[in-house]
Amino acid sequence: MSKGVLVDVTRCIGCKSCAVSCKTWNDLPSKTSTFTNNWDSPGKVTADAWTIITSFVIEQGDQIKWRFVKRQCMHCNEPACESACFTHSFVKTKEGAVIYKPTELKQDYCVGCRYCMIACPFGIPSFQWDKAFPYVQKCRFCYDRMKEQGLQPACVTSCPTQTLLFGDRDKLLKEAWDRINRDQRYVKHVYGEKEYGGTSWLYISDVPFDKIGFRTEAYGKPVSQKSIPSYTWDVLKWTPYIFFGWGAILTAMRAYTKRRAQVHDESELYEPEKKG
Amino acid sequence: MTNSFTDYKNSDVFLMIGANPAENHPQVMRFAGIAAAKRGAKIIVVDPRFTKTAAKADIYAPIRPGTDIAFLYGIMNYAIENNLYFHDYVVNYTNASFLVSPEYGFSDGLFTGLTEKDGNFSYDTKTWQYQTDGANIKKDPTLQDPQCVFQILKRHVSRYDIKTVCNITGTPEDVYRKVCELYCSTGKPDKAGNLLYAMGITQHTYGGQNVRATAMLQLLLGNIGIAGGGVNAQRGESNVQGSTDQAMLYHYIPGYNPCPDVNTPTLKDYIEKQVPKTSYWSNRNKFIISMLKAWFGDKATAENDFCYGWLPKHTGKDHSHMAIFQAMAEGKIKGFFAWGQNPAVGGPLASRTRDALAKLDWMVGVDLFETETVSFWKRPGVNPADIKTEVFLLPTAMSYEKEGTVANSSRWIQWRWKAVEPPGEAKSDLWIADRIFKAIRKEYQAGGKFTDPILNMVWDYDVPGHDEPDIMKVGREMNGYLVADGSLLDSFAKLKEDGSTACGVWIYAGYMFVDPALKVPACQRRSREDKTGLGLFPKWSFAWPANRRIVYNRCSADPAGKPWDPAKTLVAWDGTQWITNDVPDFGFKDANTGAFIPPNISASNCFIMNTEGVGRLFAPTGMKDGPLPEHYEPIESPVKNLISKQQNNPVAARYKGDFAKVAHTASPEFPYIATTHRLVEHYQSGAVTRNCPTLAEFMPEMFATISPGLAKKLGVKPGDLIVVSTVRGEITCKANVLPIVKPLKVNGSEIEIVGLPWHWGYQGLAPGSTANDLTPFVGDPNTMIPEYKAFLCNVKKASGH
Amino acid sequence: MRKLSRRDFLRYLGLGTAGTALLEGVSAVPALASTAEDKLPSFDMGPVKIKKAKETPSVCAFCGCGCGLIVYSEGDRVIHIEGDPDNPNNEGSMCCKGIALGEANTIVDPKRKRTLNKQRVTEVLYRAPGSSKWEKKSWDWALAEIAKRVKKTRDESFEERDDKGIPVNRTQAIAHLGSASVDNEENYIMHKMLRALGVVNIDHHARL
Repeated sequence: MSKGVLVDVTRCIGCKSCAVSCKTWNDLPSKTSTFTNNWDSPGKVTADAWTIITSFVIEQGDQIKWRFVKRQCMHCNEPACESACFTHSFVKTKEGAVIYKPTELKQDYCVGCRYCMIACPFGIPSFQWDKAFPYVQKCRFCYDRMKEQGLQPACVTSCPTQTLLFGDRDKLLKEAWDRINRDQRYVKHVYGEKEYGGTSWLYISDVPFDKIGFRTEAYGKPVSQKSIPSYTWDVLKWTPYIFFGWGAILTAMRAYTKRRAQVHDESELYEPEKKG
Repeated sequence: MTNSFTDYKNSDVFLMIGANPAENHPQVMRFAGIAAAKRGAKIIVVDPRFTKTAAKADIYAPIRPGTDIAFLYGIMNYAIENNLYFHDYVVNYTNASFLVSPEYGFSDGLFTGLTEKDGNFSYDTKTWQYQTDGANIKKDPTLQDPQCVFQILKRHVSRYDIKTVCNITGTPEDVYRKVCELYCSTGKPDKAGNLLYAMGITQHTYGGQNVRATAMLQLLLGNIGIAGGGVNAQRGESNVQGSTDQAMLYHYIPGYNPCPDVNTPTLKDYIEKQVPKTSYWSNRNKFIISMLKAWFGDKATAENDFCYGWLPKHTGKDHSHMAIFQAMAEGKIKGFFAWGQNPAVGGPLASRTRDALAKLDWMVGVDLFETETVSFWKRPGVNPADIKTEVFLLPTAMSYEKEGTVANSSRWIQWRWKAVEPPGEAKSDLWIADRIFKAIRKEYQAGGKFTDPILNMVWDYDVPGHDEPDIMKVGREMNGYLVADGSLLDSFAKLKEDGSTACGVWIYAGYMFVDPALKVPACQRRSREDKTGLGLFPKWSFAWPANRRIVYNRCSADPAGKPWDPAKTLVAWDGTQWITNDVPDFGFKDANTGAFIPPNISASNCFIMNTEGVGRLFAPTGMKDGPLPEHYEPIESPVKNLISKQQNNPVAARYKGDFAKVAHTASPEFPYIATTHRLVEHYQSGAVTRNCPTLAEFMPEMFATISPGLAKKLGVKPGDLIVVSTVRGEITCKANVLPIVKPLKVNGSEIEIVGLPWHWGYQGLAPGSTANDLTPFVGDPNTMIPEYKAFLCNVKKASGH
Repeated sequence: MRKLSRRDFLRYLGLGTAGTALLEGVSAVPALASTAEDKLPSFDMGPVKIKKAKETPSVCAFCGCGCGLIVYSEGDRVIHIEGDPDNPNNEGSMCCKGIALGEANTIVDPKRKRTLNKQRVTEVLYRAPGSSKWEKKSWDWALAEIAKRVKKTRDESFEERDDKGIPVNRTQAIAHLGSASVDNEENYIMHKMLRALGVVNIDHHARL
């Protein structure tokens, strides 16, 4: 059965136990970071911080809402990273986890092209820029724990407020809609149910998803309910023809990913919501 | 805490005032979430900042720092005016009906009995006493007598109407009214209100009275002694409950027995002055004599007053943290142990604290990491050559590199097993204390001043062939045993005053006693048995006192012994016997005959630690600053006191010289209110967490939170460097601009609030400025806890940025 | 141009780079086109890392919640910490600090190897008057020297009687702070030691 996690944003207190337990379980090192205005350093997932808590202070008139949103790989039903990778370094497993084979299965395919990073609509796969033999890194859904009787992903286990619920994706979807229907505070939407063809990780929230860092629009339109692979295919088929323009592409991508990081940093700056 | 964390699931309304559990006690939010899901519980959060806890509140009430008494009195006034208090509880289980001396009076912020001597004020409590008729206290159960406590309280709190309160606290009136309505809904027999607080209540120059106000509100609403209720102080460190129990405090010896002082030089004096005639404390002579037997063994006999004379007698004056550092600055303290504590970051006015350390001849630091305290001699801006202090730094073991017990906030004494060896030369604190004492004793074997207590102290923790002292031996001594055969006691009820029992810490009696069914010492029990489903978990570890999980539990049932809420029965009288789901906190069985004691006896003695047997809405004794709380302004305040002419607590603890600096009221140089706080990623002075790379990555830098409005006025953007200053100094840190702090309207004008986390210092992986360089060196007169939570500051953009 | 199918794409690419190591093992990858769950692969990950580790129940060293935790260790290194599912205080959950508790002993280095946290003090250190550095010392030396300092200070300042002639048997020249971070049994013997010496300046975190 394909597993998933239901993230109930209304319950999270921003304690970051998920983020730390991820590092502890997966032996991820930590390094110096810098202050972020929303108290959510390092501010974005990195090759050594596969899940983080992002924080959003939302003003609605006199009222304030402060929401904490765990971010990690969404484990798409039809992952863009998988289809973008011509070496098949990523694979969607039967259990729902999208894993990266070079490190998970010690099958060293990755050439470091970082197409996955561009393809991912959530900006998740992260490159080990500081390594001589770098890999692309991201949340592995604790695939090893998932396969072990009685264990759940490390982040789910450590969560004190039951923000994270692990289970069969179809049952979680039902639970998500039950909660939404029981309690009118919730936005009537399960993020990940249909976005990009559906994801194993599902989110429910009492504030609109676009206010808590989720992409709900792309190019002025609601984000696709079709999987990325079904789109990217039209582009990817040209890959053989541009294969030899490799150096140029890498340079462009480096600029792009850097810019994306920069955009993130800038977007951290506090901007009050416009009233009304 | 009167109750336990596991009991929080039984609460109907949480009043979280001066506490931020989402960051500082995250498990509270788990239990609150369970209560919300299972019982529809509601959460009220009262805090100057819109905290992570406030983000989960049903009602968030902003409050100006230091105005909690006004806030709580307003709720009490609302309860009394609207008849929402729990009448039967108040009449039977509090001193509401007790008559107070006709000489008692209160006028313009001051109680009767204030006296002045050499510029220092103190209260004579004579006029605060009950009226007596022989040995009996006069009462009026109709609560009508104008001198009864209820009428005095009613008059006192009637001044705190909603408008006045909101003018003082800055809380919007509509929000405040909702708080009153919701919280007073717990004044019913089947509703439980849980009042939980932390340092936001205690760290004021009237912190003791703040706590009194929380307890009084809970008494009025009948919320003490019941499942889901209580006055629950969220304790901040893993063993701060236990270290307090063991009396790492000048004014206590273990088990909350007052430390002997110049007023009690002999055992006879101590028993006369410190052992009351009524209440469970009437057994205090047994506790102290058993402790002396544990400490001095065979040397302690009835003939020599059990060696009472060997105990030091303190001056009867202040020897608390602030007094210690003032004395150190004056050169009166030569030697200093900084044992697992980092005052160079954690204490008030930390900059002066660091200066004071240079006056020492020697310091012994015992720590895991090189803290700011042990490295004060090489701090930025000083020349080590100028500092003559010798420093010994002894490496100690982390919690899981040794074994022993810690007492959590629920008073549960839990055992920690050892996982790994301490690294390198590091040793457990037990080993270090044992070896230091042995080394000192060796020095004194050749003679010295008053060697008796050093040479004769029972110190027998060795195990042949083992390097580590036997912690079980220490535990057994604390637990208590029969002197005759060494057999462990299961209860402090067995302690005697004749020297036949020895017990280091009377409230820990039973914690090492082997559970007959589980075959392990009580503190090592791991059974999840919970027959009532109330979260009592009687066989998980051991809760002092006597494994009682909810103290004052007699109050959960009416005077006839019928539970107010049968769904949450802790104790009940079924007509012939007591049903005891929790260990009763009252005399329920005759010690000699074993016969049950009917409920009418315990009904009038339900608060067994109080001499009058009931809860105190009015405190004739115990407080140095009044029998009732009264709103005063923090020592540094932007406004004049709106409720009386008395600006500050007249008896607040103040200190001299460099430590006396405070800003005057409404200082134009320091127009903003600063308040310190903590963050979930760090712990206290950050000595450990700033050396844990992951925590340092997730919360790397010191900052100050200012409102977007203030940021705009100052031309400051998020992340800019700013200078936060007080009359005592300044620090530079990053600007955090968020509407989680907003100006509050106080008496018509808007006042900005500045939030300062205090986890940083110059050492560790993530160094930063120390917020406590700014905090005032003034404190509560009862507890001497510093006023960290409300002081005046200014904020400027750092030059060159 | 003929429309490429996904499989064709792979074949073309494979042919175009035949002989390189890039695509070794591609044939072992199941069909990408299928999203039907039962056709997705499953992999054996072997035993989880805590399978052979020593499990020790403990209690968190930070706040007063008293969360139970399980320390997983291999030799002298902590390899994981997880909430104790049996402990009623937390039932398996923790906050970030509790999970990071292991880092006081063991950290993950940039090569993702678990090593001792180099920030830990692991030797007895001494700083002489006016010196600008620590010196390594032995326990025996430090204990003996500390004992001498304590005795000297105590005996020079000891008051058997105060100025009113009341027997007080105390020293006011030694002070002690700490600690809410050490165990009950440790605090208890520390308290005994201090009172035996006549120390009255005793305080700790409870006041702060």
